[in-house]
Parts: sequence; C-alpha cells; structure tokens
Amino acid sequence: MTKRSILSNSISRRTALMGMTATTALAAMPFSARAQANTTIRWWSPQGAPAQVAAYEFQIAKFQALHPEITVVFETTSDEGYAPQLAAAFSSGEVPDIVTHLPSFAVQSYYANGLVEPFDDVINAIGADDFYSGANDVFRTADGNYCGTGIGNSAANMMWLRKDLMEQAGIENAPTTWDEMRAAMSAMQTGGIYGAPLPYGSNSMTSLIFIGFIHQAGGQVFTPDLQVAIDNEGTRNALEFYREMREFCPPGATNYSWGESLTAFVSGATASGIYTGRVLANVRDQNPGIADHVTCVTYPRISADVAPWTFNDFPSVFIPAQSQQKDAAKMFAAFLFDPEGYIQQLHAAPGHVLPVLKSINENPMYQDNDIIQKYPEEVDVMAAAAAGGFNLGYESTAHASNDKAGEIIGSNVIADLVQKVVLNGDNVDEALSVASSTIEGIMQG
Amino acid sequence: MSRQKTLLERRYAALGLTLIAPTVLIFSAVIVYPLFSAIYLSFYNVFTPTLEGEWVGLSNYAELLQSGKFWNALKNTLIWTIGSLSLQLIFGIGMALVLHQNIWFRSLARSLILFPYFISTVVAVLVWKWLFNDLYGILNHLLMKVGIIDFPMDFLGTMPNAMISVIMVGAWKYFPFVVIAVLARLQSIPDALYEAAKIDGAGPIARFFDITLPQLRDVLVVIVMLRAIWDFKEFDLIFLLTGGGPLNDTQTLPLLVYQEAFALNDMGMASAYAVVMMLIMLVFMIVYIRRTKDDEGS
Repeated sequence: MTKRSILSNSISRRTALMGMTATTALAAMPFSARAQANTTIRWWSPQGAPAQVAAYEFQIAKFQALHPEITVVFETTSDEGYAPQLAAAFSSGEVPDIVTHLPSFAVQSYYANGLVEPFDDVINAIGADDFYSGANDVFRTADGNYCGTGIGNSAANMMWLRKDLMEQAGIENAPTTWDEMRAAMSAMQTGGIYGAPLPYGSNSMTSLIFIGFIHQAGGQVFTPDLQVAIDNEGTRNALEFYREMREFCPPGATNYSWGESLTAFVSGATASGIYTGRVLANVRDQNPGIADHVTCVTYPRISADVAPWTFNDFPSVFIPAQSQQKDAAKMFAAFLFDPEGYIQQLHAAPGHVLPVLKSINENPMYQDNDIIQKYPEEVDVMAAAAAGGFNLGYESTAHASNDKAGEIIGSNVIADLVQKVVLNGDNVDEALSVASSTIEGIMQG
Repeated sequence: MSRQKTLLERRYAALGLTLIAPTVLIFSAVIVYPLFSAIYLSFYNVFTPTLEGEWVGLSNYAELLQSGKFWNALKNTLIWTIGSLSLQLIFGIGMALVLHQNIWFRSLARSLILFPYFISTVVAVLVWKWLFNDLYGILNHLLMKVGIIDFPMDFLGTMPNAMISVIMVGAWKYFPFVVIAVLARLQSIPDALYEAAKIDGAGPIARFFDITLPQLRDVLVVIVMLRAIWDFKEFDLIFLLTGGGPLNDTQTLPLLVYQEAFALNDMGMASAYAVVMMLIMLVFMIVYIRRTKDDEGS
C-alpha cells in the first residue's frame, strides 16, 4: 500500500525530499549570500525560565544588530507540550524556523519523516572540530547527514547528595553501588527527611529515569540492531531495586515528575536528589542554607563492574524542512554559538545545560560564574558524565539510532511497567511481556 | 397550487439567505468540517506530524473495541462524569439555597462563589496540587495535626485517592455553574407557594421536596445534560492533575485521544476514539434536545 497525504495542506514525502535536496544544494552557498531581506524567523524552545529568556533576548538583539533585515521572534513551548504543538505546526505547514532544546530522539524521529533540514552546513559554520569528540554522533542519521546539533549537554540523572546528612549518618563516601545506596538511604532517612525523590508516576520522567536503572543493572531496552530486549535480567534486577527504594521515597513520589523531584531535594525534604545541574542554581536561590553541603556523583549501579549510564537528552538545535526562511535560520542557528551570547545562555542555568564546544568550556568568560566557581568538581563530573551520556534513542555507541524513542516514552509503557510491578505488585513476567509486546507494536508502527 | 411569489417576497427571501449565509459558513467551518475530517481520518492510519497515511477502513474501530484501553477509559470517564456531576449538583443546590436566604454579605458571597468557575484550570490545578502535596500540602498538615493520619496521604498517586481527588477538584471547579442556574430559578418561584404550604403545616424539608425540587426540575434537567456533556469531554483538569495515572486508572477518553494523537502520533486511531466519544455524547444530546422540545411543546 502506498502512503499519501491525507489533507491537502500537508507536504508529501516526495516533496519534502525534493525540498531537502534543493536546500542541501543551497546550503553549499554562504548563508549571508542567501539571506532574504526583511525576514522574520520564529524560534521555539521549551526552556523558558526567565533568566534563560533574558539570555535569548540578548542573543536576538545582538544578531539583529548584525542583520537588521532579519527579525527573530522567540516563542516558548514546553517539555510536555512541544510534541502536539510541533505536530500541529508540521501538519499545517506553519512551522517555526528554528527549534532548540528538544531531545535528540525527537529530532531523529522528525528527520526520519522528512520534516527536518540537514544540519551539516551549520555544524561546519560553527566549527565541527570545536565540538567535543562524538558530541554530534547522536544526531547522525541513516543517510549520513546530521539532523541537528546539541545546543548543550545535560546530565539528567546525577545523584545529588547532602554532605552534612551523610556525615551525620556516618557515611564517608558517596554510594557507587545499589547496596551502598540502599544502606545510605536507610541511614539518612531520619527526622522527617526521606532518602530519595525517585519518580513513580505515569509520566515521561519515570520512563526516562528507569531506563537509566535498566542500564545501571547491565540491561538494555533494545539490542544494538533495535530488536526489543527489555525482558532481560538487568530489567528484572532494576525493577526489584526500584521496588525496594520505594520505602525511601516520599509518599507522593507516585505522582512525581521533574519539578516535584527537584523541589523535594532543593527544599531539604530528601537526602538525595536525581536531576541535572539546575539543582545548583535552585539551591543558591531557594535554599542557600544547604548550598555548602550539596554535591553530585553519577548514579549508583548494581555493581562496580557495570559502567555508569548517564541520561543525556542532548538538547538540540534543528531547522524544520518546511521553514520558508532556512538561510536566515541557519545563520541564526550558527550565531547561537557565538561565545558572548552562548555563554550568557549557559550561565542562565549554570550546570543545567553544559557547553558542547571545547572553546567555550575553556573560555574564561564561561568560567567566570559564581556557581561554576563554587562547584568546579561537580560541574566537571556533570560535564564528563553528559559527554558520555545516552538516551533511549541512542542507548550506547553500538546502538543504531532509534527514531521511535519519543513514541515509546510518550506511550508511558515503561512508566506503566514500573507502576505495575512496584505499586501494584503485579507479576514481573506478565508485566514485562506486556511491555515488550507494546514496544514491539510501536516499533512496527 | 401555490401562488407565484411576488418580487418583494423573492427579495426578502434573498435577503434572508444573505443574512444567514455567514452563520452557515462559520458553522460549516468550525463544526461540519472538523466533524467530517475526524470521521474521514478515522478510516486511515495517519502519522500526526505529516498527516500522511494509508486507508485502513474500519480496522481502527475494530482495534479500538477490542482494546482494553478503550473500555478502561470509558469506565473511568463514566466514573468521573457521574461522580463529579453528582457532587456539583449537591454542592450547587445546597449553596444556591444558602445564597437565596437573606444572609449578611449575600451580594458579596454570590460574587465570590463564582471564583472557582472563572479561575483558569491551569491555575486551579497548580493550587490544588500544592494543597495535595505530600511534603508541604496544607491538607496533609491539617490531617496529621488533628491526628486523623500519622503519615502524609498520597492524594494523586494511588487509587482510589487519585480518582476521588480528581472528582473533588472537578466538583469544586464547576459547581458554581449549578449555583448560578439554580439561584436564578429559585428567585422566580412564587412566595405564595411557600406561604400556602406553611399554612398547610409543611416544614422546611417538606417544602423543599414538595415545592422547591419540583420547581427546579426543568432547570436541573438542562444542567445535568449540559454538565454531563462538558464533564464527559473534560481534558485539562484531569491531564494536569494526574496525567491519567496511576496506571491509567484516571485516564479518560479525552486523555486517550490526546495520547494516541500526540504521544503515539497516530491521528487515525485518535480520530476513531474521538468519533466514538462523539457518538456516546450524541446520546446525551438527543435526550437534551428531546427534553427541550417537550418543554417548548408544553
């Protein structure tokens, strides 16, 4: 059976491919030669914290001063809301011209469906050699192009710890294995303080974090050639450990997502946390009393023999193929990495989004930040962990890119698996069987 | 034989068509086109971002009816609708009766009672999530302080707490609609009926059941029909409070439509769910239309 456009206002795959071919040819030209007069480009991002928006506005103003013929309009979307908004945009043809901070697997999925412009020329304009080694591997597509690049790195499942509580509990070193973690949580859970704010809700955070636990137990969701492999010993051990950890988590963790989990640690309600480096700025602003006592490590594994597995959603930059202002958008995309503006953007959430360019990390302007200076070891640990990070669309360096990762996360199948086993006490074999067949169904799509 | 229309009559007819045309056009654009689009898409397997797909006939409907997800969501939708609507009626009628009395600050109270209905759902949900919070929520704090519970209660993450919480918040948010409608009707019930009943020796409870409730009957039918339709398709309040969890136990049909369309990118299946939802709501609408026709007839 052939696939065809259902409504007349959508573009066909063939048209999209022709467009991509044409724009790839155009990309060989310098951007400035193709920039159109008096154009407006729309920039979407789910990262809309006030300090970040202020940094974006600075970058926009600087870009517009250099290119008075181009106006950039910033529009906020959200982590949970970008999928429907972009779906509506793609299907109507009213797309933004540049999109940032979406996870890499979302970009891969859009690219696989002909919705994203190849990004190779922008990477070259930024300076391919300046990226950390392998930083763009997650954006390499089946046709050999890059579908985007990282606007930053994030280490989303760092274990945050309170050194003062560790000391009170007689714990000398941060836990590296699950046995040590269980003992540490047990020792620190006193006086109304819980051990950890792990998520058990029907949401994407539970899925994303639990995928980390599977890998930290030596398991995987897919084989490198993307055969469903979630029913393995690692997953079973991860489910068992996650179930054991429930008693060290607040009662409401059954409905926790990123915001609640972050707040639980920052407010001092839990002895440990699981989040990106945004913890540092929030502690400074919201609970400075514990600022001298927080530190982070990579999340513990089932044993020291298993390598750490850091969840990095690889916050991206990409350009929709339907954009009518591709040249201006590409110019602006490259300009986002201009040191002055890029550093200001990174400083808006220090430690949360980490630089992808070596020159930026070494830049004294980047290092000149109170949080980066106060927590140099933590920032280095996060940077190293993020640089070697993975996600469901890129489970390991051996894995093929999985453009169905977004749909698997969106289906909540992995969060459901956790809830069935941990909260309902359902049979593990049956729960894993259902999860496997559901994921199989999504893959066959 | 019908007589031939005069020029004036023909002009009036043309004028009538011209005047009604904008309404017909707008109705077609915002009601008819989306409706037929949804039905049309439901026969396809459609990838949402591109709206590309292939004809699959009735297989979306067959899959839907065989799927446990649909029946689970339908059950949840009915529990939510009946639970929320019942509480809205109880709170709404009760509050309307209070506000109908000659109490102090009646005008102010009548204004303030509308607050939950006017407040944005997002804001209302944020406030309630804060109240329900296990670590800082005032509800857990008060319940522990008076000794009802020893440990914080998980309002949104376990069953049946999650469904009860969602229903309570829904009732709080929408009961002012019932208050407005019932209060308006209460003010039009002739005092003479109550005075006659008092002379006949009827007490307050007898007067409520023998006079007030029968007089409210018509307006309550309309309220129940409208609110049942609106509650049946409620999305934002439930989605923001629980996201359908735990384990899909608060996942209603609108949440399922959203998940199919935007999380699984299957607009065809989402449309099939939406069409089935529409058919179920059609039952409510038919009852409502018949009811209003009966009222017009009488």
